[in-house]
Amino acid sequence: MAFTLQDTIILSVENLSVKYGDKTIIENINMEERDVVRTGHVQGQSIAILGRSGRGKSTLFRSLCGLEKPSTGFVRIPDFKNKKEDEPYQFKEVHEGDMGFVNQHYTLFRHKTVEQAMLFAMRKQDGTKQEKLAHIHDLLKKWGLYAVRHQYPNELSGGQRQRTAILEQVVGASKYYILDEPFSGLDVGNIERMKETFRLINAEDELNTIIFSTHDIELAIELADSVYVVGYLALPDGSYSEAATIIKHFDLKSGGVAWQDKLSQAHLDIVEEVKQAMMGS
Amino acid sequence: MDIKNWLRPFEKLPRREATLIALGWAIFLFFYWWLMTRGEKNLFPPPEKVWQGLQALYQEGLVVHIGSSLWLCLQATLISVVFSLLLTYLSPIPLLRPLAKGLSRLRYLPLTGITFYLAILVHDARSMQVWVLVVFMSLYFITSLLGVLSDIPEDEINHARALGCSRWEVLLEVVIKGRLDYVIDVLRQNLAITWMMLVTVESILVAAGGLGVLIKNSDKFMNHGRIMALQLVILFVGLGIDVLLNYARKTLFRYSTI
Repeated sequence: MAFTLQDTIILSVENLSVKYGDKTIIENINMEERDVVRTGHVQGQSIAILGRSGRGKSTLFRSLCGLEKPSTGFVRIPDFKNKKEDEPYQFKEVHEGDMGFVNQHYTLFRHKTVEQAMLFAMRKQDGTKQEKLAHIHDLLKKWGLYAVRHQYPNELSGGQRQRTAILEQVVGASKYYILDEPFSGLDVGNIERMKETFRLINAEDELNTIIFSTHDIELAIELADSVYVVGYLALPDGSYSEAATIIKHFDLKSGGVAWQDKLSQAHLDIVEEVKQAMMGS
Repeated sequence: MDIKNWLRPFEKLPRREATLIALGWAIFLFFYWWLMTRGEKNLFPPPEKVWQGLQALYQEGLVVHIGSSLWLCLQATLISVVFSLLLTYLSPIPLLRPLAKGLSRLRYLPLTGITFYLAILVHDARSMQVWVLVVFMSLYFITSLLGVLSDIPEDEINHARALGCSRWEVLLEVVIKGRLDYVIDVLRQNLAITWMMLVTVESILVAAGGLGVLIKNSDKFMNHGRIMALQLVILFVGLGIDVLLNYARKTLFRYSTI
């Protein structure tokens, strides 16, 4: 698949570590992702963060979206709002609200209907309420949520809740979507819908970036174009580091396995490699 | 209808059967009461004496007294709710947190001493009644509301922050607007305690009337029929308030699943 990596760095994580009291949860996390341009496609980025339970994935996610203050290092993204014409993006440290975050429980405002939640997410955007509603209705139809637009979260099914939680971030005009285990607890139909949601987000804007975690390694390799494995580093004396870090990175674009319609042997080889990396961490 | 199901643990019965069981217990209780009060010496007055007491109370203006008690309760509740909500909603601000937490701890302080200071500050007896109830109610109300706040999952706060909400917006959306139904539920629980306090508080001022005054007078003349009738009235009015508040919560807040 023809693609080029642009100069625009869309995510830069440098020497990130998070401590709770004396306990270091993650340390020395380094990541760099660039904008990908695919010939004939609007192609956003999908980054999978994989790792065994208790390896600090959720802490990493909270740090990435600015909800957790790092003990060292920083997360930087382009300053989309203050870009000057004909000038490259300036970088800024990430703050809460810069990246959309959907947790494992698809948390929503319990007192807002689907439509009210969308309107709230758009509160800082220009336009009249009518214009915003028209845009929201279009999206709700596309995402299969129009019929439940007047329902509260407790009246939605698991799949509807999840799509609402993601769409809320989409209308909030974020270009970054951090999804913590978006496939957990979904039936086969909802998994397919979720995969379609990934495609919708990626096809919406060149710079849209999904960062997600899952315990389904095959699914991660199928959807992602970049995969990071988080775990404890094996030390020369046979013990493990006390804090989790990135132990392996797979660039599926360079390997020619990203954006394929079906899983190939090359995918399965990577799945095996990821498993080995995870088991040794 | 399978009667065997009525004795099986955790069996879910149809609504009609559950009502039938409750009705059966009520009839049994009434019959037991009637049967046990047939003799010369009784712990409780017989139903007919209670009925007579109720009739006499009605003729002496029972409805007005109920109104007086409800009005007292309403005044105290309104002041207490405003005061408690204000303090609790400000408690996430670190500088103001000790205020709400400190007042919550004061619920262990006996009320007896407080009335002395209130008597110095408040000069008319009706206000005294209101403020005793306000003090009593607020301490418990603040305690319960602080519990509601501390039970808000971190996920809900993070969700609002991820949507770019400022800390004040988080307070408004997640704590204030997002927990309004809990306020009604807490009010319901605390009103029950206040309603129980009514007799004690109303006895401060006999001239103002109220159910507490009626029960005190009846007690003075050892009129057990009237006492029991009044207790039943207090119980049923209290239950009525409870049902009304629960109905209001469910009607006003469709999302409420407490």
